[in-house]
Amino acid sequence: MPTAPITLAATDLSSYLPILILVGMAVTFGVFNVVASNLLGPSRTGKVKEKTYESGMDTIGSAHKRFNVRFYIIAMVFLVFDIEIIFLYPWAVTFPNIDQSTPDALLWLGRILFFVFTTVVAYVYGVRKGVFRFD
Amino acid sequence: MNNVIAQLWPEIALFVTTCLVMVVGLSKDRGTRKLCAPISAIGIIVAGYLAATTSVDTATTLPFMAKYGKVLAAGVGLLLLMLMAGTADRQLEDAVDRGEKFEPLRSTRAEFYAFFLFSLMGLMLCAGASDLIFLFLALELTSLPTYVMVALSTRRDRSMEAGVKYFFLGAMGAAMFLFGFALIYGATGSTALADVAYTIQNRAAGTGSIGPLALTGLVLSLLGVMFKIAAVPMHFYTADVYQGAASSVTAFLAFVPKCAGFFAIMLLVGCAGWAFGPDGYGSGTALPPELRILLWTIAVLTMTVGNVLALLQTSVKRILAYSSIAHSGYMLVGVIAGPGPAESTLASNGLAAVLFYLLTYGVMSVGTFSVVAALERRRRATAADAAIDEVDHIDELRGLWKRQPHLAAVMVICALGLLGLPPLLGFLGKLPLFTSALGAGEIVLVVILGLNSAIAAAYYLRLVSVPFLESGEPSTPDAVVPTPFPSRALAGVVAAVLVVVAGLAGGTLGSHAERAGTFRFPTKTMEATRHASQPTSTVSVPPDAAERGPNAR
Amino acid sequence: MSGLAGQLAIMHETLGSLALAAGDAAHAQPRFGTGVGAKFDVPRLFGLIPFIPLLACALCGLCAAMKVKTKLPAAITVGCLLASFGLTIGLYAQVHANPGDFAIIHAFEWINFQWGQSEAQSLTANFSFYADSLTALWMLFVTGLATLIALYASEYMSHDVGQGYCRFFMAFSLFVFSMACLVMGDNLALLFLGWEGVGLCSYLLIGYFYKKPSAVAAAKKAFVVNRIGDLGLSLGVMLAFVQFGSLEYAEIFRKAEPFLALARDGQWQDIPWTVQLIPILLTIGAFGKSAQLPLYVWLPDAMEGPTPVSALIHAATMVTAGVYLVARMFPLFLVSEHALTIVAWGGALTALLAATIGMAQFDIKRIMAYSTVSQLGYMFCGLGVMGVMGGPAHVFTHAFFKAMLFLACGAVMHGFAGQLDLRKLSGLGKMPGWRIVTVAMFVGCINLAGVPFITAGFYSKDTILGDAFANPAMVPIGWILLITAGLTAYYTFRVFFRVFVGPAYYEPGDELHAHDDHSHDHAHANKDHGHDSHGHGHSAWQPHPPGWAINTVLILLTILSFAAIVTVFKADGWLYRMVTNSSAGAGIAADHHHKFFGFDAHAAMKVVSGIVAIAGIAVAFVLHYSGRTSAATSKADSLVPMLGPIPRWAQNKWYVDEFYHFLFVRPLWLLSVVFAAIDKVLVDGLVNVFGWVPKALAKTARPLQNGVLHDYALRMAGGVALLLLIIVLMVNRGDRTSAAASIPPTDNSIGTLPAAPAAVDPIAVSLDPIRAKAQEAVR
Repeated sequence: MPTAPITLAATDLSSYLPILILVGMAVTFGVFNVVASNLLGPSRTGKVKEKTYESGMDTIGSAHKRFNVRFYIIAMVFLVFDIEIIFLYPWAVTFPNIDQSTPDALLWLGRILFFVFTTVVAYVYGVRKGVFRFD
Repeated sequence: MNNVIAQLWPEIALFVTTCLVMVVGLSKDRGTRKLCAPISAIGIIVAGYLAATTSVDTATTLPFMAKYGKVLAAGVGLLLLMLMAGTADRQLEDAVDRGEKFEPLRSTRAEFYAFFLFSLMGLMLCAGASDLIFLFLALELTSLPTYVMVALSTRRDRSMEAGVKYFFLGAMGAAMFLFGFALIYGATGSTALADVAYTIQNRAAGTGSIGPLALTGLVLSLLGVMFKIAAVPMHFYTADVYQGAASSVTAFLAFVPKCAGFFAIMLLVGCAGWAFGPDGYGSGTALPPELRILLWTIAVLTMTVGNVLALLQTSVKRILAYSSIAHSGYMLVGVIAGPGPAESTLASNGLAAVLFYLLTYGVMSVGTFSVVAALERRRRATAADAAIDEVDHIDELRGLWKRQPHLAAVMVICALGLLGLPPLLGFLGKLPLFTSALGAGEIVLVVILGLNSAIAAAYYLRLVSVPFLESGEPSTPDAVVPTPFPSRALAGVVAAVLVVVAGLAGGTLGSHAERAGTFRFPTKTMEATRHASQPTSTVSVPPDAAERGPNAR
Repeated sequence: MSGLAGQLAIMHETLGSLALAAGDAAHAQPRFGTGVGAKFDVPRLFGLIPFIPLLACALCGLCAAMKVKTKLPAAITVGCLLASFGLTIGLYAQVHANPGDFAIIHAFEWINFQWGQSEAQSLTANFSFYADSLTALWMLFVTGLATLIALYASEYMSHDVGQGYCRFFMAFSLFVFSMACLVMGDNLALLFLGWEGVGLCSYLLIGYFYKKPSAVAAAKKAFVVNRIGDLGLSLGVMLAFVQFGSLEYAEIFRKAEPFLALARDGQWQDIPWTVQLIPILLTIGAFGKSAQLPLYVWLPDAMEGPTPVSALIHAATMVTAGVYLVARMFPLFLVSEHALTIVAWGGALTALLAATIGMAQFDIKRIMAYSTVSQLGYMFCGLGVMGVMGGPAHVFTHAFFKAMLFLACGAVMHGFAGQLDLRKLSGLGKMPGWRIVTVAMFVGCINLAGVPFITAGFYSKDTILGDAFANPAMVPIGWILLITAGLTAYYTFRVFFRVFVGPAYYEPGDELHAHDDHSHDHAHANKDHGHDSHGHGHSAWQPHPPGWAINTVLILLTILSFAAIVTVFKADGWLYRMVTNSSAGAGIAADHHHKFFGFDAHAAMKVVSGIVAIAGIAVAFVLHYSGRTSAATSKADSLVPMLGPIPRWAQNKWYVDEFYHFLFVRPLWLLSVVFAAIDKVLVDGLVNVFGWVPKALAKTARPLQNGVLHDYALRMAGGVALLLLIIVLMVNRGDRTSAAASIPPTDNSIGTLPAAPAAVDPIAVSLDPIRAKAQEAVR
């Protein structure tokens, strides 16, 4: 049986080039900023400068301190809305481009409404759980 | 895309129920809070009904598994729900009864039921998964809630410890199969299971092997998924976690993740196909030799380790945990046997046998766990709620026949069922496993399976004899009394009745499993239809269009 | 073997002229071979016939659970059985409208195994019911009598209201369900289920008075003896499956047709011996259930059960299951050279033996039991001599009058505190309130004795006798049966003349020496039946005559016994059509050409058997009635010494039980001792080793479960690594050996993918559309 090796590499990885470029850009950006600020910025140090908030106040006690779990919950509620925005934005940009007369458009609208509904549920859940009460 | 939605109606129904439960469970009104369970039940019934009436089949090598799997999840889910009564926040509700204020932040009822439904939803998604990413998300949706459920299930530290163990080891398993999925994608250039199967099997038809990269991917993902079914070597967590969680949650763990795991295993192994023989691809009905050896080793080790370790246990939950490991081993035999020749029946189709066994195992394990869940240990001295503890030691079942005859009967029927005694359901489930493995020529495996069933008799008969034959009070200083949640015992009774009735008239159930286990070789027809819609969509292929058999190409 | 040749000739004629026979019978359709006609449809509703009794069983169980202390279980049972009987009549109407055909009512899928591709490699046995005229015939009297007897039992068992009452009616309903499965099943597996079911119910009901050691022993005996028969039956069923590849009657009959043709031509050597063995094995099963030689010993002891049970199970229905099996499987019996001969001789010898034992007994219920054994022998003869119609016909008529006889005995027993000894009862007919019982007993007796022309029993017995004499091979059997008929008439009327007429006298029974079911229970001081609480022997003790339920049932059965004449009066009457329009009709003897001393055998028998019956009654009259002045003695007593030891032997049942005990029980017991020793030393030792090995393994593996999270993770990772290593080694070895030659050098750019043939290039095929789509998206 005549066989010939095929190269998957060429077919597979070519489509990943943009990602590679993006990764490269990200790495470059980070490295550049750190290196550049080190090289370019003036570097002065001292006792006051090394204080946590540079506010002139001495820090008191340990940072390993218990505090109310509600802060975390608030942070998570924030995440709910944060992710909502992340999804809503591209949707809002794309939606006008769809022919509004087709049933597809309705489907698109339905999907995002469903998504918004889940967010509302999360919000109602948060309220009922008493997340927003600080008593 | 509409097809996908049409197929997902059961899950959507469950999701809407979940949303409702999350809100209702936090109500200030006690009566409203109590609605959580009925609402969940309605949601599960609706989901089951929708699953049973949907006729869309997935674009995988197991096109009819989705429907069966979803109905199965709904059915056993309903039994499990009955078992869950009072698990979530009993102490808190008791405190409210005594006049304390209801604190939503401390209540876990809403979350518990929501997680329960989420996990069931994940199981349903698993059954209908047609894509690697879909499958991964479904598996994790099944597992993640269970980690929390384990930790929430009781107020004791042991539950927390179990939850943490379960979570970390589960993450390790997930990482492993995710890595495997990535390699599979690398080897085939697609995440759609249909494509993966088509590519791998085409390559095997050409070169005689499925290729090292695909093999590595499959092996890793299978090993990762072994965590879900508690198979060796990913079984170490089982006993500790099962013992640490509340009995009702343990019953859940014994069925839901295992079911999801087996759906995933069958879908993944289905990508490599059962068409290998002595002369390479297309000359037989076996797995690729490497995968066969892998699964063979795991199956033998799993059933042996499970059964052998169960022998020494004195804790009912640990016994059942090891028995659950052993049953995973049994079912792997069916996976190794594969779908058999074309047009095979329940007796010759190992996949159908596994699907049927999942049903039988689900019912029987719910039954056994329900006995433990329906009892509690109450210290004689005090009546405070802190003095209530779970029943765990086998001695605590001593003489149960005298005090709670129905629970003792449930234990006897379900334990004998798990043992596989005819004419109970367990026998009906085990029989096709044996016959399909024999049909596939796995004689040694069948012998080991038989030996293991014999070893298992030792501890199942202990579960039978202690409540029944040994009389007298339990040797603990505490009183073993029934819990104030009759639905737990009811779940057990329903399961026991099913074990008997379905054992006598299980033909219909078997024929459903038989259809669900239909294995379809990936064909061009499927490929073409698939691309007519969208890459990740699911389509229904008319049965006549789906060619069968390795020689069909 | 000349007799055999004659039989062959008959059979040849029989099978050859079936069309002719059908022409004679006005309503029968022409039939060939197996006698199975076309299939027709009936509503699925009739599939409920067996399940309504099952429902009754469940409800009675519920009553037991709820500790019902009323007669509710009886009401439930009677109601459900009546409904079942009503449906049976409906089914009969359907069958009647389609003579010669059969219907299959599918209830649900039951057993369905497949272990291969071909159709032969499957075992299908559904919960489906086979409805033809034979089924309808059997079901009519099973459900009908069950209804009546349940009504009777509601009064009879009234002393036991409570748990026992529920238990009784549970087992009773379960029995009807099992019997219906046995009779109606469309396959041998369902028949077997029913067969075992009735055996179980029989066991439970014989042992109903489980506190009485004799009842428990009798139940055990019945169960064990039946097991021997069941072994034969199950072997027969398995062999039938092996031979015909199916358990369904329709399929078996279809596949037996070629053999039937061979049998018609007398080419026995061409029929495999395995096929010929099937009916013989089935016969063993039938003989066990129907109490024939050598397995009859359990039935007389079974009289320890409550009388309604004796009447229904051990006289009318269950014991006829063997007859049903032979009738149903008749086409298979025809293809065996010796099976029918075995059936006929077994039946004939049993009939004679049981009759002789019956003559010498004093317990009236036992006499009835031996008469049942004897009459069952008759039925088998009826089938064995290839008369076909006689057997089922006698089953049908016998069911009514024998049930009635038992119920009358039961009434006596109920009324006289368990007294059954005919030497201690006399002239019951003269006592107030016993008239109906006496009349019923009389009607039963004339039926059993076969008083000519006015009893149904006469006609059905006569058919069997005629068939026997008409078949030249079976003439000896005819003579045996004729003698038996005389003996039957004698011992039947011995009971009647001793107990129901003559000087009035009674002694109440007591639990010590009488075979008393329930005086034991009477001791629980029931308010209504307080006689035993006074202690017997007191002048205050009075027998209490039966109440409305028992009397109603007896009256109804009396009427039915007479009504049954209509069905057998004509040689091609209703019963003839019912039997011949089914699979049992395969061997209808079309033309009896053998003569009885120059007369037509059937016509001659009408006279001869009538004379014999009258003679038997006359002897009984002389010996036991005329001039008898006391209950305990009669003229027969003076005759006994003249016969030497024979009466004593007969009274001791010819020492068959002792013989069996010596021949089987003893050696088996010895063998069991030996085996027990072997078991203890060898098997237990071996088993202990098997138990020890897993435990040792467990002790080794246990430390791995130490509960430490990171250890677990380490072990998991280690296990995975080990398995991966195995796979890697395997792949490498595979590469080096077989696959190495065929796999070309691989491209190392990504992984080490083996190459696909260029001509097919499946990967390109599969990826192309994706790539195209991706490009589209980029654009």
